Amino acid sequence: MAGCTLTGALSVACFIPGAVTVVHAPNGCAHQTFSMLHALMNEAETKIVPEILVSGLSDKDVIFGGEACLSQALDRAAEKHPELIIVVTSCVPETIGDDCLAVCREHAFADRTLYIPTSGFLGGRAKDGENAALIGLSTLAAPAESIPGTVGIIGEKNLESEVEENFAEVSRLLDLLDLTVTVRFCRNAGIADLRKLGTVSCFILRDGRCADAGRELGKRFNRPVIGEFPRGLSGSIAFLQETGKACGLSADVIAEAISKETEHQKMMLERFANLSESEVCLGVEPFEGTLAVAREALKRLGMTESPEGIKVRLPFYLPVGVSGTMKMLYLWRRAILHG
Amino acid sequence: MDERLCVNPVWPCAMTGACSVLAGISGINVLIHGSSGCYYYPRSLLKVPLFSTYLLESEIVFGTVNRLREVVSNLSTSNKPIAILNTCIPALTGDDLSGAFPGGEGIFVDAPGFIGNVEKGAKIAFDSLGIKTDPSREGVNIDGVSLLDLFWRGNLHEAERLLSQMGIRVAVRFAKDSYENLRQGAALHTISVNPSYPSGIGTMLGSFLFPDLKETCANLADAFPDSDTEPVLEEWKQAEEQIFYSADKYLRKYEPPVVAVCAQESYAVFAKTMMERYFGSEIPVILARNSDAVSIPCETDLTKITRHIADCSPDLILGSTFEANAYPNAAFLGITPPDRSRVSISARPIAGIEGGILFIENVLNTLIDKASLKQKTNK
Repeated sequence: MAGCTLTGALSVACFIPGAVTVVHAPNGCAHQTFSMLHALMNEAETKIVPEILVSGLSDKDVIFGGEACLSQALDRAAEKHPELIIVVTSCVPETIGDDCLAVCREHAFADRTLYIPTSGFLGGRAKDGENAALIGLSTLAAPAESIPGTVGIIGEKNLESEVEENFAEVSRLLDLLDLTVTVRFCRNAGIADLRKLGTVSCFILRDGRCADAGRELGKRFNRPVIGEFPRGLSGSIAFLQETGKACGLSADVIAEAISKETEHQKMMLERFANLSESEVCLGVEPFEGTLAVAREALKRLGMTESPEGIKVRLPFYLPVGVSGTMKMLYLWRRAILHG
Repeated sequence: MDERLCVNPVWPCAMTGACSVLAGISGINVLIHGSSGCYYYPRSLLKVPLFSTYLLESEIVFGTVNRLREVVSNLSTSNKPIAILNTCIPALTGDDLSGAFPGGEGIFVDAPGFIGNVEKGAKIAFDSLGIKTDPSREGVNIDGVSLLDLFWRGNLHEAERLLSQMGIRVAVRFAKDSYENLRQGAALHTISVNPSYPSGIGTMLGSFLFPDLKETCANLADAFPDSDTEPVLEEWKQAEEQIFYSADKYLRKYEPPVVAVCAQESYAVFAKTMMERYFGSEIPVILARNSDAVSIPCETDLTKITRHIADCSPDLILGSTFEANAYPNAAFLGITPPDRSRVSISARPIAGIEGGILFIENVLNTLIDKASLKQKTNK
C-alpha cells in the first residue's frame, strides 16, 4: 500500500468498533483514506464504513495555529461517548507546530484518548503509520498469562481486497494444528478484544510490513512471533511447522497436520493436471517472493519455464497459502487454454 | 461547533482538482511536488501517468528546491513542458521554487490541499495555464470535461457529435486536449458539459445538459450564423417525446418517486429539473458537493448528508455510493463519484441528448429493479 503515515494509521485505527478516530488535518487528507476504505468495503460487500472525524484545517488555521480545531474535534468525538478516541495527524499540524499531545492531554476525555503522532509523510510512509498505530494500540493491553491453543494475528492489511480470503486460509491451516485465532489486531475487534492481546500464546504477523510492531509486541508480551502469512505451497508446510513449534505443540501433532496439508495440496493441484508439460514464460516479478511461489507451483504441476513459452502473469500480491496459489493458477489456466 | 469539522468528507482537495485538469492535457509532464501520500491518491483516481518529488522529512528541514530541481532535470530529457503542482507542506514552508526552472519552461500551479476543494484547485490550474482566446480561432470550446467526472468521456463524445451535426468545429476541450492545441489559443466561445468545472475561458454560450440544450443551441445559432441547429433541435424534441412516453408508462403503475440529490451543483440541478419535469417528483433534499454552489446549499460531511436523506425517506438517491451505502433503503443511481455500485467501462454521457435519455433510462431501470426486489422480499 502506498501513501503516507496517515493512510497507514487509519487503515488500522478505523477497524476498531467502539472507537472514534479523529484526524487532525485538512479535510482533503481524510477524504483520501475515506474514499479508499469506501472502495474496498464495497468490493468486500461490506457497506458500513467507519467514521473519520476531521478537524478540517483551513488556510486561516495554518497561519494562526490549529490546536483549537483539534480541541473542537475532540469535543465532537467525546459527544459520541466512545470507548476510545484515537487521534492521528497529517503533515500540516506538524509543520505549523501544533502541540497535539498537549491538546489531547488537557482534554476532558484525556483518559480515553490515544494520541498516535503520525505526522503524515513527515513521520514516514504508510508502513510506518501502520506500525505506529499497532504499537500505540497495543498499550491498551496488559501483559497476561498465555492461554494454550490461542494465537493473535497482527497487522492484517485492512485495505487489501482479499483480506478475508487470506484470513480464511490461515485459519484453515491453524485448524489443522487445533489452534484458534482469539485476537485480530486490529481488524473489526472491539476494545475489549484488543485488551486480550497479552493472553495469546503466539503472534502471527501478516507480513514484513509490520515487523517493527511484531518486534515490539513480542518483547513486551514475551511471546514468539511468526514473521508472515504462509507463502505458497511449501510455505504452508513451513508455516505449520514453525507455528506448531512456537505454540509448544508436540512433534506428532505437527506431523499429522503436515500430512493432512500435503494431501490437501495434492488434491487441489489435481484440478490443474491438464497444464502438465505446458511451457510458460513468467516474466518480471512484480512483488518480491512471487517468483519463488510461481516456480514451485510450476514444478509441482510438471510445467516448464521458457522465454518462448506462453506468457502468464505473476500476481502483484504474494499468494497466501494454497488458496492464493490456486487463484494464480486459475489465471494461468485461462492464458494457457484460452490465449 | 465549528462548521469546518467534518465526518467522512466526501469531496477531494484543491490539489486533486488541479491535478485533474493538468492530467487531462497530453504533451506535458505533471509533477506533484509533495509526498508519496499526496501523489498516490490522484494517481489511483485519475489513472494517468503522473510524477512526484516524493518529498521526505529531511527535504522539508533543509528546503525542497534541490529535490525539485533534481526531478525537473530528469524529466526535462523528455522535452515536454513540466507542470509542477505544489502541495501543502512546500506551500507552508515558503520555499522559492522558481529556482527549480533554469530553462524557464515550467508551469507552476500553487494549489495546496488546505486552500479548499476540487473546484478551487481546478480553477487555479486553468488560470496557471494562461490560456488566451484567439479571435482567429474557429469553432467553439468544450468546457467542463474533468477526469474526475464519471461521465467525462461520454460527455465529450456527445458534445462533439452534436456540434458536428450543427456544423460547428471544436476548438479546445477543457481539460482533455493536447498542450500544443492549448497553446494555439482558444476560440472566443465556449459551451459546457459540466458547468461546475468552469475554465473561465471564452464567452460561455450555455450548457449541453438536456434541459439547457435548446437555449444553448439558440445562443450557438446567434454566434455561428452559418451553423444549422435544426437537426439537433428535432432530435431533442423526439428524445423528449420518448422520455415522456416512458415516464408516463412508469407513472401508470407507480407513484412519483421522492428523490434526494447530492452532486456538484450543475448535475444536481440537472437531476432535479429532469425528475420534476418528467416524473413530477418531490425533491426534498438537494445538496451540492462544490462549496461555490450558488443555487443550492453545499454539504460534504457524510453524517450530515445522511441525516438529511434519512429525514425524508426517499425512494431514489441520485448521488454517489457514499450516500447509497449510508441509506440503503432507497434505489440508487450514481451521478457523482465514487460510484462503486457497478462496473463501468463504457463512455456513458449525462450531457447532451443521449445523456438525457440515458439518465432517464437508468432512473427507470433502477426504480423498477428496486420495486421488483421489494415485491420479491414481501412474498
